[in-house]
Amino acid sequence: MSTSDAALIQKIVQRDESALAALYDRYASLLSSVLNRILRDTQAAEEILQDVFFQLWRNAAQFDPGRGSLPGWLVVIARNRAISRLRRHNPSAGEELLETSVIVPTNLESAVAQQQLLGRVKGALENLSTEQRAAIELAYFEGLTHSEIATRTGDPLGTVKTRIRTAVESLKRTLSP
Amino acid sequence: MNGHPTRPEDFDLYALGVLEGEEKAAFEAHVPSCAACAEKLAEARGRIALLAFSAPRVAPSGAVKERLMRQIHSAPAGAGVQRERAPREPERAEGFFGRWWPAAVLVPVSALLILVSIRLWQENAHLIDELGVERVELQRQQAQLDEARHVVALMEAKDTRTVALASQPGMAKGDVRVMYNAKMGMAMCDGWVDPAPANKSYQLWLVPMEGKPISAGLVEYSNGPMKPWMVKLPPGVEAKAFAITLEPEGGMPQPTGPMVLVGPVS
Repeated sequence: MSTSDAALIQKIVQRDESALAALYDRYASLLSSVLNRILRDTQAAEEILQDVFFQLWRNAAQFDPGRGSLPGWLVVIARNRAISRLRRHNPSAGEELLETSVIVPTNLESAVAQQQLLGRVKGALENLSTEQRAAIELAYFEGLTHSEIATRTGDPLGTVKTRIRTAVESLKRTLSP
Repeated sequence: MNGHPTRPEDFDLYALGVLEGEEKAAFEAHVPSCAACAEKLAEARGRIALLAFSAPRVAPSGAVKERLMRQIHSAPAGAGVQRERAPREPERAEGFFGRWWPAAVLVPVSALLILVSIRLWQENAHLIDELGVERVELQRQQAQLDEARHVVALMEAKDTRTVALASQPGMAKGDVRVMYNAKMGMAMCDGWVDPAPANKSYQLWLVPMEGKPISAGLVEYSNGPMKPWMVKLPPGVEAKAFAITLEPEGGMPQPTGPMVLVGPVS
């Protein structure tokens, strides 16, 4: 049975490098995927990937597994940094997320669990209309706001807001346990 | 928003990052001081984070892990527990030319080489970071260049038509021009129109020869004047006219309000 995220975090606090390597092996592929999708630049994605795990190494003591999920936290940090870089926002904004709780509705510590969730997420997105899915992807992977999506697609702002709200409601229903 | 967000999905919209302006500010003013809302936001962040699974799988190169492990070796211990140093052997009193003289030479040289390597690695990391920033800037400029090329292509195309929209009697004053190319499916709108009343938006419509009007975007203002914009439309649609109507804020799927400016395509 593999070691839990919480136990590995505790070992990182004790400066156990093999624990960091184990968490890297567990989640680097997920983070690399979302970073490459956002940045479309392998080198930039790998820089942020390394940076996120280095931040985990330096600040592991501040992460409380009881307050949330490590993979959720890593994804939020990685996405935040990638969007910041993409849009040239303040790159230090991700640091604030150390205080952030992220509660993922399922355990992602095993590769099997990740594979099962992959199917659920794809299914949830396939339930959306083409326009809803496109709007969600513009928001999640390009970091666009309501009005920026309206400008990008040429659709009225009200239409975009309704489209995203409906899509989010649908995702919430499908992805909640 | 002085209290809790009124709709449950507001938490997911905030986590997704689509809220802006007053909506976002009101959310951020309330949630940090409300434990119940902070919990709901944490759950919403978790749900939205799952969208990461929809990205096509890209495994990182093995070099990233190697660099990471080298980096944690060279980094200061920081806030964490300091690594213990390996115990040193007691020094022997055999003098410089004793059995350890090679070490006496090699250790300082090795230390110097390590320092030089660390310095070179730091400079390299800095240069890589700068290169990344430059690359993003290049991408942004490329996007602007592409848009400029589209504008030039639209303006140079022989079949692009310019439509002048005139104010309707009793309505807001304005002078708007639309350059439209049906084949390219592109339109560019520029000019001016008096600001819309509160809670209302001006919306531009392509009125086709057949069928329902097609939205061509909302009039927005940039520090006073109307902001020009380019919009992609379904290609091949012959326009009978362009019109700007007064709609509820944010626009409508189909026109519902009065026509403020109209221009027939000659």
